[in-house]
Amino acid sequence: MTVDRLLDFAVTINPGFYLIIAALLVAVAKDAFTRAVALIGGPGLALFAMLYPPVSGADVSRELFVGFELSFYRPDSLSLIFGLGFVLAAALGGVYSLHRRDRLQDAAGLVYAGAALGAIFAGDLITLVMFAELATLASALLVFAARTGPAYRAGMRFLTIQIIAGLLLTAGVALYGVEKGTFLIAELGGLWNGLVIGIIDPGSTGGMLILAGVGIKAAFPLVHNWLTDAYPNTTETGAVVLSPYTTTMAVYLLARFFAGYEPLIWIGAAMTIYPVFFAVMENDLRKVLAYSTNNQIGFMVCAVGIGSTLSINGAAAHAVAHIVFKGLLFMTMGAIQLRLGTTKASELGGLHRTMPWTALACLVGAASISALPFFAGYTSKTMIMTAAESGPGLFVVWLMLLFASAGVLEHSGIKVPFMAFFSHDSGKRPEEAPFNMLLAMGLSSGLCLIIGLYPGWFYELLPFRDQAQEFLVQDLFSISHILQQLQLLTFAVLAFMVLWWFRVYPPERPGVIIDVEWVWRKAGPMAGRALTRPLRAGGRIVSALTSSAIAGIQSASRQVFAAEGVVSRKFPLSATAILALCILGVVMVISLFQ
Amino acid sequence: MNEEKPTLTPTPNQKPQLGEAGEHPLSVLLFSWMRSKLAFRIFMAVLAALGAVLIGLEVVFSHRPVTSIVTVPGFFGIFGFVAFAIAVLSGWPLGKLLRRPEDYYETRSGEAGRDR
Repeated sequence: MTVDRLLDFAVTINPGFYLIIAALLVAVAKDAFTRAVALIGGPGLALFAMLYPPVSGADVSRELFVGFELSFYRPDSLSLIFGLGFVLAAALGGVYSLHRRDRLQDAAGLVYAGAALGAIFAGDLITLVMFAELATLASALLVFAARTGPAYRAGMRFLTIQIIAGLLLTAGVALYGVEKGTFLIAELGGLWNGLVIGIIDPGSTGGMLILAGVGIKAAFPLVHNWLTDAYPNTTETGAVVLSPYTTTMAVYLLARFFAGYEPLIWIGAAMTIYPVFFAVMENDLRKVLAYSTNNQIGFMVCAVGIGSTLSINGAAAHAVAHIVFKGLLFMTMGAIQLRLGTTKASELGGLHRTMPWTALACLVGAASISALPFFAGYTSKTMIMTAAESGPGLFVVWLMLLFASAGVLEHSGIKVPFMAFFSHDSGKRPEEAPFNMLLAMGLSSGLCLIIGLYPGWFYELLPFRDQAQEFLVQDLFSISHILQQLQLLTFAVLAFMVLWWFRVYPPERPGVIIDVEWVWRKAGPMAGRALTRPLRAGGRIVSALTSSAIAGIQSASRQVFAAEGVVSRKFPLSATAILALCILGVVMVISLFQ
Repeated sequence: MNEEKPTLTPTPNQKPQLGEAGEHPLSVLLFSWMRSKLAFRIFMAVLAALGAVLIGLEVVFSHRPVTSIVTVPGFFGIFGFVAFAIAVLSGWPLGKLLRRPEDYYETRSGEAGRDR
């Protein structure tokens, strides 16, 4: 009975707290076993709590806190699918990190995962913001954890941008909550097809601020460089742990608050296109994957903007599938980073000889992200493409997404595995990745295949499960869809081979590619220097005059008070007598005339 | 008598051999076929043939009428080829325009060349 009561109580707690408690345990763990139990057991407990919620689509409990009604835990089908992705990522990240005994990274990673999980299960805006800010702080620690100069500076930039996003979100939440008279998500809007989504009016000031804050976290165009700046500067495990949460949490928030908001369609479509060009030029393969993340989040943002049941299902499914296959790709690059200390394509090539398991995992990740039929990406992205294709007035958007699909194949499907593991022989023969890394890669690869080959269970977990099952039966494996996708991929690979054969494929060259970040990393300091130049010139003149005056005073003082000064000099007796007579004469003359 | 140990790093002029010293057996099994130019050509020919077959299958199995360019058999293949080529070839001019030296932002001593 006690166990039953304990279990009943356990499932009433927001699953994010389990990961945060596990983080505390990891921080004080003295032996490897305790550490491993906390790293993997924490996500396990969270998964248990998530899968057996006491209610669905309602607040588990409401608490009054400093005058505000809060709901720490509100599970529903939208939270569940995102939560599943986060828990999987936390567990896989834990396995992947076992070789590295770094308490800071372990604890920060679990707090980050727990806070992100807590945010998506929060039933009110205040709890959500608190969890989101905790996630920000923990994620910044992961960037700092590399303990290098570039990582420190990237971490500071990351933290600055994330704090700006957090402030916008907080201000927006405060304004919106006060305006509506409640912070409870369930009371902010009505049900749409049985789900509380699209509940915030982006036309209001509070709504706009929330959208801006979430937009930065989703790496919208022009504010996307925190992603491409921070991820490549972390440790080999840091990028794996960082990649799943912030942007995916932002997609969840967009779906929850702004589903069906039309501008998101175009923002998302733009997000899918421009990273393709940057990823093609980029030499650092972890940065290529960061651009690729930006591109994939674009698909989800676009789907959220379309706002149909099919597209919301697609966004949620793609978020989880993306967590798995992008995590896998980051894992493979992390293994190379660990063994060789670099992921620059110009320094790699031919690594399949000694790292064949890692190469194989990379190929599975590449096939998944390229949406090859029967891999995870196909299961999820097909829904988004179908929603765009069938949406009224979305032909151009659909073409943009189709172009981006070919682009994805280029940078993540071919460039990353080819340049790292195949291509020319760099002569480097690193050891294969440690066992725990291979295990995490193997599990992720397995998940990519299970989602791709048996999507039924996965679709059962989607927010609108009836529509998902209908899509599974009628569309997903239809001959036309499979043929179209295979055609797209076959001819794109053929294009790669032709371009490689004729040596017109751009070679990987060392260098950095300037992006929007140029504004704050180069133009900002330059403008600052230019604007302060007149002030600095005036300052120099004032400084020179002040220095000269001070030097004069010092010199005069020295003449009067110093032992070697003029006043202290010894004069001959006769001169002293004459001087005394002169003074006496002057005194007499003054007295005479008075 | 010192027996020469197999080295994992090839000498500069040494051509990579199948199953060279230190190579993982899985690599020999799965990937060693890729190293010859002939295999590359064969793979390219197989892909071209597969593409043609896929278009043929679309003609046979797709029963929808041709109402726009999207419904023309082979549209996805041609689109994939062209889109991929555009994405890749754009790398040449964009690279010239946007690529900067490695230490453009970060020098060894710190951000934007400032000593720290």
